[in-house]
This record gives sequence, C-alpha cells and structure tokens, in this order.
Amino acid sequence: MLELKNISKAYPGVQALNQVSLHIQAGEIHAICGENGAGKSTLMNIIAGNIDPDDGELIWEGRPVRFDSFRAAADLGIAIVYQERSLVDELSVAENIYVEKPPLTSWGLIDFKQLWQQTLHLLQGLGLEDMAPQGMVSSLSPAQKQMVEIAKALAAQPKLLILDEPTSAIGEKETTVLFNILQKLKEDGVAIVYISHRMAEIFQIADRITVLKDGVGQGSFAASTLNPQQLIQLMVGRALPTSSFQTDAKNETCLEVDQISGPGFQEISFDIKRGEIFALAGLIGAGRTELALALFGDAPIRTGKLRLNGREVRFKNPSEAIAQGIAYVPEERKSVGVFLEHSITENVQAALLSKSFWLDASASIAATHFWEKLSIKTPSLQQKAGLLSGGNQQKVVLAKWLATQPSLLIIDEPTRGIDVGAKAEIYQILKDLTLQGLSILLISSELPEVLLLADRIGVMRRGRLLQVLNKDEASETLILSLAAGTHA
Amino acid sequence: MTTQKFTLNNILQDRVLSLSLTIVFLMLVLTLLYPTQFATWDNFSQVLLNLSIDTIVAVGMMILMIGGMFDLSVGSVVAFSGGLAGYLMYHQDLPVALAVLAGLSGATLVGLVNGWLIARIGINPMIQTLAMMGIVRGFALMLSGAGLQNFPWEFIVIGQSKLLQLQTPVWYMLFIVLGINFLVQRTTFFRRYYFIGGNERAARLSGIQVERMKIWAFVISALLAGIAGILLSSRLGAALSTSGRGLELRVITAVILGGASLAGGQGRILGAFLGALFMAIINNALIIGRVSGYWQEVILGVILILAVAMDQLLLRRVSRK
Repeated sequence: MLELKNISKAYPGVQALNQVSLHIQAGEIHAICGENGAGKSTLMNIIAGNIDPDDGELIWEGRPVRFDSFRAAADLGIAIVYQERSLVDELSVAENIYVEKPPLTSWGLIDFKQLWQQTLHLLQGLGLEDMAPQGMVSSLSPAQKQMVEIAKALAAQPKLLILDEPTSAIGEKETTVLFNILQKLKEDGVAIVYISHRMAEIFQIADRITVLKDGVGQGSFAASTLNPQQLIQLMVGRALPTSSFQTDAKNETCLEVDQISGPGFQEISFDIKRGEIFALAGLIGAGRTELALALFGDAPIRTGKLRLNGREVRFKNPSEAIAQGIAYVPEERKSVGVFLEHSITENVQAALLSKSFWLDASASIAATHFWEKLSIKTPSLQQKAGLLSGGNQQKVVLAKWLATQPSLLIIDEPTRGIDVGAKAEIYQILKDLTLQGLSILLISSELPEVLLLADRIGVMRRGRLLQVLNKDEASETLILSLAAGTHA
Repeated sequence: MTTQKFTLNNILQDRVLSLSLTIVFLMLVLTLLYPTQFATWDNFSQVLLNLSIDTIVAVGMMILMIGGMFDLSVGSVVAFSGGLAGYLMYHQDLPVALAVLAGLSGATLVGLVNGWLIARIGINPMIQTLAMMGIVRGFALMLSGAGLQNFPWEFIVIGQSKLLQLQTPVWYMLFIVLGINFLVQRTTFFRRYYFIGGNERAARLSGIQVERMKIWAFVISALLAGIAGILLSSRLGAALSTSGRGLELRVITAVILGGASLAGGQGRILGAFLGALFMAIINNALIIGRVSGYWQEVILGVILILAVAMDQLLLRRVSRK
C-alpha cells in the first residue's frame, strides 16, 4: 500500500533519518520500534505529510507521491492519531470528530441532527456506546479523550491509520476496546502503523515490526520470528560507551527519600550519597519529572519524609528548596529553563535574588567564573541567552545553579536537543562536580547516558520505583524491560 | 549594557535615551515656535505640576508592567483615597494626619485585595482590576458625593505650598521617581519583577516567590495611587468623586511610551516619568497652539500607536540578524 524508499531527513546537528526504507501492506498492523530519538516521530510525520524528507521516495499504491501538506496525505486516505491531543475542550464529542467535514443542511449550516446520528453510529461501531455525541470533551477522562481522538481519525475512513503511543494515556479496558477496533479495521483491509514502547502490546497486536535505531532502519521482521529480548537488542544494540566514569560517591548520605507519595508518584524510597550520581530511568510518563518537581518544592509531597544532609525537610515552594541547597535544571530548557530575553549575567542572577537585599556584584562574578570554567561560548556575558546554542544555554542554566552552591543538583534530560560535542562536555562537567562533593539526581531517557554517568539507577514505571540497580548489574536491556514492564 | 555603542540602532532600542532625545528636540522646537509662551519658568513649573499626579501613578504601573501585570483600578483609587481622607476630615473631624493615613491605608487595602485575588485565586488581572475600578469608584462616590471642600489648612498645605518656586506635588513626584528608580536598580526585591515578567514559570523555578511578589506589586501601585489621590485633593482643595477618571489609560499610555511592554520583562522607572513628561509637553503645546481639546486625545492615541509600531519594526530588524 505504502512504500518508503531511502528516506533521509536531517536537522541541524542531527541526522534524524538515514536511508530508511519501509513497506506497509494493506490489512496489516505494522509496529515501529525504537528508543527515544531513534527517528520514529520524524518518520510518522513524513508519512502524514507534515514534514518533507530531504531525500527518498514515497510510493502510494504503486505511484510515487509527494505530500506538500497534511491535507494532501489526508486526501489519499492517511490519518494520524498523535500523542498530543488535538481536541477542542469546549466543543462536543461529535463536533470534534467531524470538525473537518460536518454534515450540512441545505442552508449550509451544520446539520446537528445528522451530526448526532453519524457520531452515535460511529461510536457504536467502535464499541464506545457509553459516550454521548453531545457530551463536552472537557468532561471526558484522558482515556476517553484518546478514544475520541481515534474516532476522529476513523471518521475520515482512512486506508492507512497511524497511531503514535495510543495506549500511553488509557487503561486496560480501553486498550482491549482499541485492540478489537484495530483487529476489525485490519480485516477490512486498513493498514495500521503502530508506534509503542510497550513490548507486550507490540507482540500482542503487530504482524510485522520495523526497528529504527539512531535514524537507521534495522530491518522489518514478522512479529512471530522475534521475541522481546531480541527486539530490545535490535533497538539498543549500539556500541556501548567505551569506559564509564569512576564513582566519586562518599559514605555520607545527601538526600534520603522515605516512602513519599504525591501527584504522579507513589511510595518512593531511595537515597543519594554525597558525590553520587543517582539516575532515574523509565519511559515518558513514568513519574520521574513529577517526583523531581516534588523534591524541589514545586509540587506537594502528600505522605512520607525527606531528609537532606541528615535533617528532615519539607518545602512549600522552590524558594525554600533552593535555600536548603537543592538546584533543579528543568527538562524544557527553552520554555522554563532559561530567560531567553535576558543576558547571561541576568540568568545567573535569577537564582541569587533571595540572598541579599541589595544587588551586588555576585552574579557578574559568578557569571564570569563559570563563563570560563564551563567554557560557555559567547563573545560577551551581556549576550541574550536566547541567542546561544542549546548546549551553551544548558551551561548557562548550570552556571545559574552552581552559583547558588547547592549540595544536590536535580537535572532533567540534561542533553536533550544538544549536539554530540556539547553532550560530552556536559557529561564531563557533571562528573567534575561530583568530585567536588555535589550529589546529582539525573533523569534521562537516554540509556547510554544513564549507564555512562550513573553510579546507581532507579527504574520507574507508572509512578513507582521498581528497582534500584547498581552500575555493574545494569544494562540497557534490563532497564528497558523493567521500564516497559516485560521483565519476568 | 555598559559596553553599548551610540549607534542609531542602540539609541532607538534604549527607550529612556531615545525618549529623552525626543523630548529635548520637542522642547527646542517649541521654544523656537513660542518663545514667549513655552520657554518660561511659569509654563515649565505648570507642566511639571500637571504631570506630577500622573507620574506618581505611572511609577506603580511601571513596576506592575515590568512584572507582566497592569492595574485598571488606579484612577478610582486616586478618587477613593482623597475621598476617604476628605470624608473623615469633613464629616468626622478627624485630625489631618490620621485622615491622610486612613486614605493611604484604604488605597493599600484595594491593592492587597487585587493582588491576593489575582495571585492566589488566579483571576485575570484585566478582569479583576476592571471590576475593582467600578467598585472603588462607587465607594468614592458614596464618600465624596458632589464633592467635599473646606479642608483644614494642614491638609491644604500638603499640595499647595511651594519650595524653591516649585509646587510640592512636583517635589513628591521627583522624590518618588528617583527613590524608586534607585531601589529598582539596586535591590534584589524589585529586580525580581524583570524575571517574573520575562518568564513566570522560570522565575518560580529559580526560587522567586512569584505569588507574593505579585501581591506586593499591586500593593505598591495602589499605595502610590493613594498618595496621588491625597496630593490631588489637597492641591484642588476639594475631594471630587470624578478625580482620576480616565487616568488609568493615560498612565498606561505613558508607561508604554516609556518603554514597558504588555508582555512584561522590560521597562525602567525613569521611562514612566519621561513618558508622562512627553505627553504633558504635547498637551501643553496643543494648548499654547490653541488646538481644540478634542484633538489632544486623538494625537496622543496616534503617538502611542506609532511608538508601539516602531518597537515591532525594530524587533523584526533585530531578530532577522
């Protein structure tokens, strides 16, 4: 039905896809697997007409095609269900589903009677009888919204349906419903492209599996010829970093987390030694960032205790956490990490504003110090942070926090969107910091990074800390199977 | 900032500098056009007196706008604080000092309510202060009715005496502008507003207590409006319920001319003064030139649009590099 030949796509600093070929047949469920950053999303967006490939060919039912827009792909019968929602909360289920082509009266107005009918019919066909076409989307649960999203894609009666992590927001019950729908569509000859991290699901539903790794196709396989361990091997199987760092962990405990629960995580216990790098691994949505924000005082901790350097602490807001020596480098660097419109010095100043009443030179002294120490590449410290590269912006954020002289640094996805050279620099910086006695809580979805840096690794899944692995017993395969819930 | 060169681009981007130059230029032109009317000490001190009330309110508005907020209720607070002090003196025979203190406390309370509802409950500042504008105006009407007069000498002297040939409101204005300008440049407290206006979430994650700071901004702004209200009714010798009508828009205009942006994160206190000064000089010129009063508002509106349009063009020029 759809054939991709030697598709390539590069972004500044990263080859997202490199000569990827893929054949999707009518009436099959085709899973695409790969780690974060393997190029799955880029590939999907090319099929859906959102992104132009730099190179390569798309062949639709035997004819070469070029999608210059999302519409062009939709007109051919390609529909995509994204991870992010595209629904309008303040409209009804039916209006959302038929937002593109609502039934019209002879006056050219929306024919609501017809709209309710059509939607009811569609929902019944999908086994979603309990959802009312007139109901507001805002009143639905996340799982129900996801189902509406899928119904919306199906309303256009596509020949090719792309699903991006469709089960990440839904429960067991909806998953069963969804799989029944997919089976039925398959029997009707619809081709389905299915992206998921969850091994169990993939083997339950997929006919064929294509594996991507660092933008390169690793081949397509009949699902029956693979087992989960082999699949993970294919996804991960890159050369491991040649040497991991020596540990600098001391015997004193820096942070002790005792049975804490809060929004998005439950009953978490672990500790971090002085000079240790403790990594939290897990899939997106496992609750790692939520946990980090709670440790930083930005979200409430409902039950459990927190001890920092031996003293019990409880933070009402980040300000209190910072005063006690905790620093937090957020995941979304551009939107909440740096002040893009402010200079480098001012960025450093941001975390020092509670230290004294009068403004003093401490920010500019610190900025100058870290400019050299972290080798921030900029002609001047008066440069706006927004004009720096991602790697240098991250160094500015690090400089801001190091200027507060923290004892614990929480760092969330430190190298996302950062080029390879700057990555290596940041790793070295983090490692040097532990030598000076700083403890680091590292959150990362990049397993090689975790294995390179971490002294111990906590694997989280669905808001719980499953297991803490020592550096020498951890492997990508083990972490991934724990995180995905396939470990026996 | 210390190493910037005096290129045209830099002058245009530094609003305090460009506005100062514009004002100097405007004054030169007006001196040449109306040497006997414009360039006199009397006219000069009158212009300063007229802009003093607006400027004091504009300083508070500038703090809010640096933090990405604004307050539409300041005009009503001006009438309210004057009205409350006047009512207590006129009907309750309260000593002047206590009445003034009560007027200022009333104003501060309005700011506290605004700030608390906006920061803690999450009401949109536009809606909250628009509603408060009506509520406080209503109280001002109840307090001063058709207008209160015959205040004690001790009250009148606050706004009607002279020092070095300048009326006291001018001195209050200069003191407030320079004092708060100093604090904004030198204290960590006021510096936080630049970060809150620049990126609220990032500010919180940098340890700034955003909610508390927001409440403070509304309190400071309302207190300054309260001071302006006391000065105004003392200067007029009367508390009028119509005082400060339309003031909020005039002040926001001045502050935006002075370099603030609705998005927040930028602006300087001196800019608020210069914006108000610029508007006062234009007004003065129109009066001397006997242009109909109706045109004044039209011309100020046009100037505001031109100033903001120029900003957008400059922004595009910078971002294209």
